Amino acid sequence: MSQRVFITGFGIITSIGNNSVENFQSLVQGRYGYGELSILDTIHRTNLPSCEIKLHDDELKKLSGVGDRKGFTRTTLLGLVALKEAISCAGLTKKEVHRSGLLSATTTGGIREFERHFYDLLNLSKDGPFAQFADTANPGEHCERLADEVGIKGYIATISTACSSSANTIIQGAHLISSNLLDVAICGGAEALSKFTINGFNSLMIVDPEHCRPFDNTRKGLNLGEGAAYVVLESEASLLRNHKSPIAELKGYGNANDAFHQTASSPEGTGAFNAMKQALDSGNVSTQDIDYINAHGTATENNDLSEGTGIQKLFADKVPYFSSTKPYTGHTLAAAGSIEAVFCMLGLQHQMIWPNLNFQHQMPELSITPVRKLMENIRLNYILSNSFGFGGNTSSLLLASA
Amino acid sequence: MEGKKCYINGVGVISPQRTYVNSEFLPEVKSYGNNVLTCVTPDFKAYLSPVQLRRLSRMLRIGMTAATICLGNAGIKVPDGIVTATGYGFLEETEKFLKELLERNEMQLTPTYFMQGTYNALAGLVALSVKCTGYNNTYVSKGFAFENALQDCLILLNANPNFNLLLGSYDESAAVQYTAGMREHQFKKEPVNSLDVFRNKTDGCIQGEGSAFFDLSGEPSASTWCSVEGIQLIYRPESPDELKETINSFLLRHDVQETDVDLVVSGMSGCKSKDQLLESLERLIFVNTPRAYFKHLCGEYCTATSFGMWLAASILKKQQIPEIVRASNHEFPDQIDTIFMINHYFNRNYSLVLMRR
Repeated sequence: MSQRVFITGFGIITSIGNNSVENFQSLVQGRYGYGELSILDTIHRTNLPSCEIKLHDDELKKLSGVGDRKGFTRTTLLGLVALKEAISCAGLTKKEVHRSGLLSATTTGGIREFERHFYDLLNLSKDGPFAQFADTANPGEHCERLADEVGIKGYIATISTACSSSANTIIQGAHLISSNLLDVAICGGAEALSKFTINGFNSLMIVDPEHCRPFDNTRKGLNLGEGAAYVVLESEASLLRNHKSPIAELKGYGNANDAFHQTASSPEGTGAFNAMKQALDSGNVSTQDIDYINAHGTATENNDLSEGTGIQKLFADKVPYFSSTKPYTGHTLAAAGSIEAVFCMLGLQHQMIWPNLNFQHQMPELSITPVRKLMENIRLNYILSNSFGFGGNTSSLLLASA
Repeated sequence: MEGKKCYINGVGVISPQRTYVNSEFLPEVKSYGNNVLTCVTPDFKAYLSPVQLRRLSRMLRIGMTAATICLGNAGIKVPDGIVTATGYGFLEETEKFLKELLERNEMQLTPTYFMQGTYNALAGLVALSVKCTGYNNTYVSKGFAFENALQDCLILLNANPNFNLLLGSYDESAAVQYTAGMREHQFKKEPVNSLDVFRNKTDGCIQGEGSAFFDLSGEPSASTWCSVEGIQLIYRPESPDELKETINSFLLRHDVQETDVDLVVSGMSGCKSKDQLLESLERLIFVNTPRAYFKHLCGEYCTATSFGMWLAASILKKQQIPEIVRASNHEFPDQIDTIFMINHYFNRNYSLVLMRR
């Protein structure tokens, strides 16, 4: 990297809190978002509990400052809440925001609204309030709307690499900064629960109706979740110019492909290993330097075995502390990478490691065990955050204390 | 960042014209009369396995075949990375899953349509097929998706000039998108002959589709088509003057004078109101430079820049400008060394690309 990349702000909304402070408190208190669905209208409300944000769209409109204006999908509203917090946390001026890039991730965009009004929208002779959601099957729609709301014009990109999407926005934002194309890149993702997603994952038979148990031998699958998070990346030059002190440094990253199966990871963890290895190499950091890994840890049989094996292969007998925070928030798909990057930064700031809730039974295939209880007063210098997805996509971020 | 070269060393394009044979250059031009353009496809059997032929959706077949043609043209078995771009993704598959979901009241669903509807399904499929474990990314940014993907590749090649990156686009003329587009007044109300789209001065454009793959490397090869010097995105420019200023600084950054440009390839769409900015621009800059249009051949879609890039690469490699794309009364040159391309998607997403022989 020719230009160092720092993180100067973040914003987040998940089922465990509407902002960074609330999320931090929930992480400390072990409060999770898993429960019956009461906002999304689906037949799976009780049989497939998920991690839902208990705010109706009208309440989100209030929270995000949209008021009664039309055309905002739930994905966009969640994104806007997190984006505004990130901008204010980084103390960006209007002019800086204008010149910034926005790189946002989603797997379904506004499909929640699209599925709700599907038959009406396809009937061109009909008109009504539903027409405000005509173009919401487009995944890039949310990103442009977010940019327009806060006044970003510098660069716009939407990434969709399944569950590794928002980790890839952070990698691409860093690329744009380190090659001097941007001073500030706001990167992350937004994802609202939808029938489409719940039924899609359910048809793959990887949703656990019970509360998910990453890296546990009795794990049966993931819980879905919704949320959004954005981090503000800034160039070293921009920090020096503005006399700003960063929260963390994005020291390295890795992006690879498992090239094993359309929706499954290789049992050897090839992609996971390659992504983490690249992240270490690009940051000039050795395996012994890593203090904590925030694992992808979805609690599917396949992911945890593949990821655990990849971690063991890379770190051999010196595996650092690791945990999956998915039991707190559920799997928020495209938003997971940035949500977990924020959790890592909260850990850095407060010198804490978040526990892997619900772990009880050791996997016989692995010799490593995740962190089970909240760890405090832990000096964290280097953290890896993993995000993997369908299509073989694997990404890993290397965060360093500033 | 700027300064280092990027070469197009392989091409594979499936579009509403017969573009999949790299030795030909628009041998016959196909016109469409119903405002929807669909791909002219090769015999997939030559490129796909029997299993793929049976299982893959139409657009996955098209994309996989375009990628295979491109790798073959470049003489590359396994690229170092794959970056794809799409505006609406596999909307036909998404619609099928949604319909099943609604008709069956969320019960007894099979995952095929869901899996084949994910935006990164093509990048994953290509990676899996050629066993490419390197960099893999997919952009879905409406009218910027292909531009983002190209920018991504240029940055990667700057750090790794010996890499071969497979850059590809895909978008389909999906019925769902057409309906959405009609609601948003994106498409023409009256049927037009596609080849007359620029003559017909009404609002709306015609729907198009296609998949274009390029093998990009920092090093030239025996199969090099041309170089890509740089790209710039402009989001919602407010005036022709803002566009003109951005173009001037873009050219300056690449050490190119306005008079060095032999041909402007322009993404004029045929929509009277949405093309206004580009039309004004034609009177402000490159006034004396010949122009080529391409959206009467491929239609309008989010990643149409990739078709424009194929056209520009073909003109530079073959040193001919087909009659059908000539769009101004200028004298067209015999030798074409530098092409400037400008595209817009519904007057929101503008992009500039500079390419050289």
